[in-house]
Amino acid sequence: MSDILSIGASGVRAYQLALSTVADNIANASTAGYSRRSTNLERIAASSSRIGQRQITDGLGVAATGIKRQADDFRSTAVRAAGADLARTQTSAVWLDQIETSLGGQQLGTRIASFFNSAKAVSADPAAITPRVAMLEAGAGVAIAFTATGRALDQITADLDIKASAAVDELNTLGYALAKVNQGLDRASPGTGGRASLLDQRDTILEKLSALSDVNVAIDANGRAAVRLGGATGPMLVGGAETAFVTYQRSGSAVAYIVEQNGTVASLSPVGGALAGLAEGAQRIGDARVELNRIATGLVDGVNTLQSQGRDLDGNPGAAIFAVGATPSDISVSLINPRGIAAAAVGGGPRNNSNLITLETLRTTGQFEADTASFIATNAATLASRRTVAAAQAAIHDGAIVARDQVTGVNLDSEAVDLIRFQQAYQASSRIIQVARETLQTLLDIR
Amino acid sequence: MHISTSLFFDRSSKQLGTLATRNQTLQTQIATGKRLAVPSDDAVAYRRLQTIAQATADGTAWESNIALARTVLEQADTALGSVTSRLQRAQELTLQAANGTLSAADHRTIAIELRGIVDDLVALANSKDARGGPLFGSATGDTALTRDPAGVVSFTGTGNPPGIPIGQDVTIQPSESAGQIFGNIPNGAGTTDSFALLASFVTALESGGNPAAAAATTVQGLKVTLDQVGAARGSVGARGIRLDLESTRLEDAATVREGERSFLEDIDVTKAIIELQKTSTILQATQASLSRLSQLSLFDYIR
Repeated sequence: MSDILSIGASGVRAYQLALSTVADNIANASTAGYSRRSTNLERIAASSSRIGQRQITDGLGVAATGIKRQADDFRSTAVRAAGADLARTQTSAVWLDQIETSLGGQQLGTRIASFFNSAKAVSADPAAITPRVAMLEAGAGVAIAFTATGRALDQITADLDIKASAAVDELNTLGYALAKVNQGLDRASPGTGGRASLLDQRDTILEKLSALSDVNVAIDANGRAAVRLGGATGPMLVGGAETAFVTYQRSGSAVAYIVEQNGTVASLSPVGGALAGLAEGAQRIGDARVELNRIATGLVDGVNTLQSQGRDLDGNPGAAIFAVGATPSDISVSLINPRGIAAAAVGGGPRNNSNLITLETLRTTGQFEADTASFIATNAATLASRRTVAAAQAAIHDGAIVARDQVTGVNLDSEAVDLIRFQQAYQASSRIIQVARETLQTLLDIR
Repeated sequence: MHISTSLFFDRSSKQLGTLATRNQTLQTQIATGKRLAVPSDDAVAYRRLQTIAQATADGTAWESNIALARTVLEQADTALGSVTSRLQRAQELTLQAANGTLSAADHRTIAIELRGIVDDLVALANSKDARGGPLFGSATGDTALTRDPAGVVSFTGTGNPPGIPIGQDVTIQPSESAGQIFGNIPNGAGTTDSFALLASFVTALESGGNPAAAAATTVQGLKVTLDQVGAARGSVGARGIRLDLESTRLEDAATVREGERSFLEDIDVTKAIIELQKTSTILQATQASLSRLSQLSLFDYIR
């Protein structure tokens, strides 16, 4: 009779654990990175020791042998790969968008056009001062547009440095945290809730890592993750309890990520994740800078040369209209006196406009407006295609998450069913204890 | 299929977000009337629109130069009209003086009027244009001609006045130089100008002799001058027609550009409003179905 009692007791114990697992699932239904748990229930088989006698194979109840974490490493790997691709594209789109804003904000093309058109009014009436003043003002507009565009590009380069440093810091923090999780996994016994929590943490960290760089993950029998950055042959970030330290460096438009571990230095070239997007962004900003400088230099040199070839209202050789500052795009108007615009050819007199008319030729050959529009349009086309790619990659990423969550996610309706099932089993088990007690009582009541 | 509860909510919120963004975009497009907000909305259209904007800015600049050139040409035409009437009066007076019946006193009266005509002609030739420069100036100089204390008139500078740019590589002379209008009058073996011609006839009249011979030369010279003035007026008129043609061409090009700009940049409002209505309906339906679905929970039935 004591067997029935212990069977009932085992059921109560097992279903108590099962119920608490369901409660845990329900409580964590919306916790990021939580994988659904289930309780492993096993029958306790009776051992038959008396050989030769007729064996009665009845069980000794049920035992909860452990908590099983519902996970699928292949689906997690798919989520990481899709996440790295998406993060790269989205990050590079962010910087292309910033470049677009910097280039478009100053209406550079419009200002250049208005400078050249203001010269036409001077050509029509070279002796008058008002059109000359207007032309110098239009020149100041061009100078401001170039300078402000250059500064905006400098600003986003500085922003990129901050973002990249922050990303690398996060990478290092995650690597350190993963090493700690690896150490924890060494000590955690299988089937415990603690181990399941560590594995959840491991997968969450790995997913965050994959948003920063493409990662190659090897998981050993104990569940510990070894992570290489930038593909299977890339530098090791985490191996067991060992971590490497990553630093960010930028020179011009070239970005370098240096991975250092125990004095060994390796270079990281990520092809996925935010770090790859940042490297591409830096390259794009650098390219925009070069093009902006080229257009600015062409315009400044062209106008100043033309100026020196002509004569101003007082018959003197024209002084330079534009002055260049620290960078080629950092330009200002150095000519203050409107009489200084050299509209006339040499010996042409104050009403002559032959020199200024050749400004239109400079405009045609220099292609300043066309080049400005082209390089903004090229950037815009790249940005638009990145957005299209990002939309496709987001769909792939979403699909991978759906596939993974089919295994790991908590569905409250299923949990409700389990809750009823285990509650009833628990109630039935406690009923068995009552039956055992009553049965024993029957015997004890014999007088 | 096992669908996790949190994924269900995540996906629903993402879908609602996408629809709300689409609505916002359409709303902005309708409010601004523009399909393109940033270059990356349509890079090819942006590139084309920049070219159109540049051409429009150029067109505006050319138009204002054309307006200035037209004003100067009209001034030149008016001034040349006055010159013609003054020269015709001089011709009348010269022919009158050649008539042998007039007395010396009559000759003096004619001489006085002719002096006035010379003054008028000098003033007309030295008119200022709309820009404040000499209307009939040559390539250089601030005045078309100068007159010394003795009354001798000389033209300032040589060549043609600078042209006004009215189009790509197109310039127009807004008037003629005084030298071409009043100068180069044949006089015996050499040449003279209209002012010297009239001045010498005035001297002849005042000297009291028979002015018939001098009058013949003067009439001949005035005829050449009138021909030159007529040619200049004709030329000025022809240039006015050129300006009109150029202006019409610019307007036509602007109309074509505006059509293309509108095609590239403007939204089809009807289409956009229908699209907005569609998106709004879907958004409302999604919201309604989400609130319905999210109410479905087995826990409601566990008592």
